Order: sequence, then C-alpha cells, then structure tokens
Amino acid sequence: MAVVMILLGALYVGLVGALLTSGVNGITVALIAGGLAAFQLFGSDKLALHAMGAREVSPQDAPELHAMIERLCVQADLPKPKIAIAETRMPNAFALGRSPKSATVCATTGIMEMLSPAELEGVMAHELTHVANRDVMVMTLAGFFATIAAYIVQFGFFFGGGGSSYGDDDDNPSFLVLFVVSLVVYIISFFLMQALSRYREFAADRGAALVTGRPSALASALMRISSGMERIPQQDLRASKELSAFYFFPPGAKSAIGGLFATHPTMEKRIAALQRLEGQLQGQA
Amino acid sequence: MGLFDVITGRRKLKQPAPDRLFAMSTAGVTLETSMGLHSSGKAAIVFQPLATADFDAILTDMEEVVRGTGEDTGTTVDKSDDQYGYRWMILADPDFEDLVVGVNGVSTALQGGGYGERILTAVFAFRDAQDRHVYWIYNYKRGTFYPFVPAGGAQQRDSERELRLKAQIGADLPVEAELERWFPLWGIPI
Repeated sequence: MAVVMILLGALYVGLVGALLTSGVNGITVALIAGGLAAFQLFGSDKLALHAMGAREVSPQDAPELHAMIERLCVQADLPKPKIAIAETRMPNAFALGRSPKSATVCATTGIMEMLSPAELEGVMAHELTHVANRDVMVMTLAGFFATIAAYIVQFGFFFGGGGSSYGDDDDNPSFLVLFVVSLVVYIISFFLMQALSRYREFAADRGAALVTGRPSALASALMRISSGMERIPQQDLRASKELSAFYFFPPGAKSAIGGLFATHPTMEKRIAALQRLEGQLQGQA
Repeated sequence: MGLFDVITGRRKLKQPAPDRLFAMSTAGVTLETSMGLHSSGKAAIVFQPLATADFDAILTDMEEVVRGTGEDTGTTVDKSDDQYGYRWMILADPDFEDLVVGVNGVSTALQGGGYGERILTAVFAFRDAQDRHVYWIYNYKRGTFYPFVPAGGAQQRDSERELRLKAQIGADLPVEAELERWFPLWGIPI
C-alpha cells in the first residue's frame, strides 16, 4: 500500500513535471492537477464501492444495521448516510463521501458475523465519526496540497532558477534534478499525510467512544478483528490492499515495515487510548 | 461545527437543544380536536444507559422521583431495554398533559445528573380513527418533532401520511425540516 501510494504520487508529480517541461503553459497544468483532485473528491466513492463489491442496502434488506445506524445518527446529530454491505469474509468497515449528506457507510458481511451488536455499534460509530469529521475531504485536500507543494518546487526551479543569469545554459537545472527535488518534497508530504491519517484514526476512535458511551466495546471489537484478520486467507488481503486508508482496520498491518508507513496507529495504541477514555468515563463518579 | 473542529477532529457530543418538549402539550389539543388523533395514553423516553456507577445511581433516583410524582398525577412508569441496548422509560397516563410532564421529569433528572447528552428521543403514541398507530417523535438533540407512521409489513412507513400530518399540524409544533432526519424507530413498545 505505502509503496503503491508513493509510486502513484511520483507518477502524478512526474506527469505534472513532464507537462511543464514539454512547454504546456502553467494554467493548463494547474487545471489538469485540479481536475484529477476534483475527480478524487467527487467521483471516487462510487468507484471505491464498486471495487469493494459493495452494494447499497435498503432498510428491508438489513433492518438491524439500519436501525443501529439510525440511532447513532440521532446521537451524533448527523443526517442518515447511505448504507452498503460488501460480500467478503474479511472483517472490515469503511466510510466514503466528501460531506455528511453524500456519505456512504459500508460494512463487510465478515465483520457483521464476527462482532457482537455492541462491538459492531462501536465500529459503525467510528465510521460515522469519520463522516462527521469529513475525513475523506480532509485527506483528499491534504493529498492535493502535497502535490501542490511538489509542483511549487518545480515551478520555482523552472522560473526562478535561471532568473539571475540569462543565457547561461549551464546554470539551468536539468529535468533530473527538478524531478528529484519534487520527489523529495512529495515523499516528505507523504509521511506527513500518513501521520495525519493516524491522528484522524485516533480522533474517530475517540468520537465513537463518545457517541456510544462504550469505549471498551470498541476496544474489544479491535482485538477481535485483529485476531480474526490473521486467520483470513492471504488472497483476500492482497486483493483489497488498495483501499486500506479508508478502512476501520488496515489489512496486512502486521507486515508494514514501520509505523511511519502506516495509515492506522497500531492496535495496541488504539486500545490503550480507548482504555484511557473508559477510565475517564468511570471516573466521573 | 466550526472549522477548528473539522481540522482537529475533536468533536463533542451535542447537548440537548433548548427544550421545546412542552410544545407537545398544546399541540396535543390540536391533534385531538382537528386531526382525529387521540393519545393512546402512553409516552416513552429513549436514552443510552451507561455502564458507570454514578449513572446507575442517577437512574434509580430518577425512577423514584418520577414514581413519586406519578402517585399524585396517576402516571405509572415502566422500563424496558431494546435489542440495540437503549433504555425506554415508558409512562402511562390517560391525561396527556401529565404524560408530557412525566417525560420532562425523566429528561430533567438525566440532565441534572450530567447525562443529558445520552437522551435520544421522546415518543408520544397516538391512534387515529381507524385505530392505527401514529407516533410523534421528539429529537432532543435538535429540539424538533416529526411524525412516524408504521405501515405494517417489515420496515415500511407511510411517508405520505407523515407528510400530510406535517402539513396539518402547521406551526403548532416545531417540525424537523430535514426529511432525512425523520429517523424511524421500529418495534416501539408502546
């Protein structure tokens, strides 16, 4: 996942760079970059749902899931999102959509079978908190800014680099240098984005605990899922790695090289944070 | 929610909106006289029971208070838990105004104990001329009412009837403006 995202970003930056050097004017390039980000923001949720094999379900199809989410929506003061179910044994859940009004919350059949109602409620509250916090919007914008950062570096080299010494060809940086610098900027922003994502996972856990009033149910859901993840066949995980930033629990998290690359905090840290919340709750007495 | 809350992701749970519950006691007359809905003598208040020691104590106190005032007004109190883990305090009284007062007693006690944000809704049960169930639900977070008419059959509601009720009640009740927040409550035990 991490490598794929770096490569994707590099490709994006490379494309913008190549467009710039090939003499397309800056405004057109900005339009293309903006257009891609806009597509991510407005078009990607349907694409992602389709990629997961998820389908929207009516209250008749999944009465209990609907009723559970409706009650959570009253409590969190949110409009009701669309609800989808993905037919896969992998226990997971995710939220999509740029605003609370256009949001979709999805659970897999695996997670619905594995968790008790109280645990599932915690997980759904976590996803609803992502919706309330507009995390899809925040992460897309953060990604867009990361690209802009790299773009500005390129732009600065392109116009400012030769400013003081007209006609001296040796002073102009080659395309390679340009590319390497923007890549470095991109990689730094990539790590910042992963850190932001981890922070927002903590925020969503905290929000979920507040909404349900049961931090320990969410902690127990985390434990059950993480032990369940290890039992699931590897093909399932590999087939679904691309979407892991949106997930409640990242597939293949155990194999991640280091915490820096992770979109989610480790399970131990999340559970510890939830236990602190439970402590605060009980301490009100 | 402000921009800062969006950036930090640190939201607080919404406290109850300014209380407009008592709009129901006056609207009850309109419902009875001009809309053909009569109270079925029951109302309920729905909240999340927390598993903390002081919450249990507050609940016990609250029940005692409501039962105590109930002896004067003739209101009886019952409770049940639904399958989603929410508690229903069910009040029964033939006098509609006493029902509203009773519901307010429960919510005041919970708010007094610092758990006001755990209250979801109050439900008032009515029957129409054909003896079908019609509910008016009060959303504490938003301070608004909305109608809910189960249509028989699994998870079916009579949206047409609900919209007509909204038009008929007019300005007598603060009705929830956003239709996507007319959350149904299936299996209401009253």
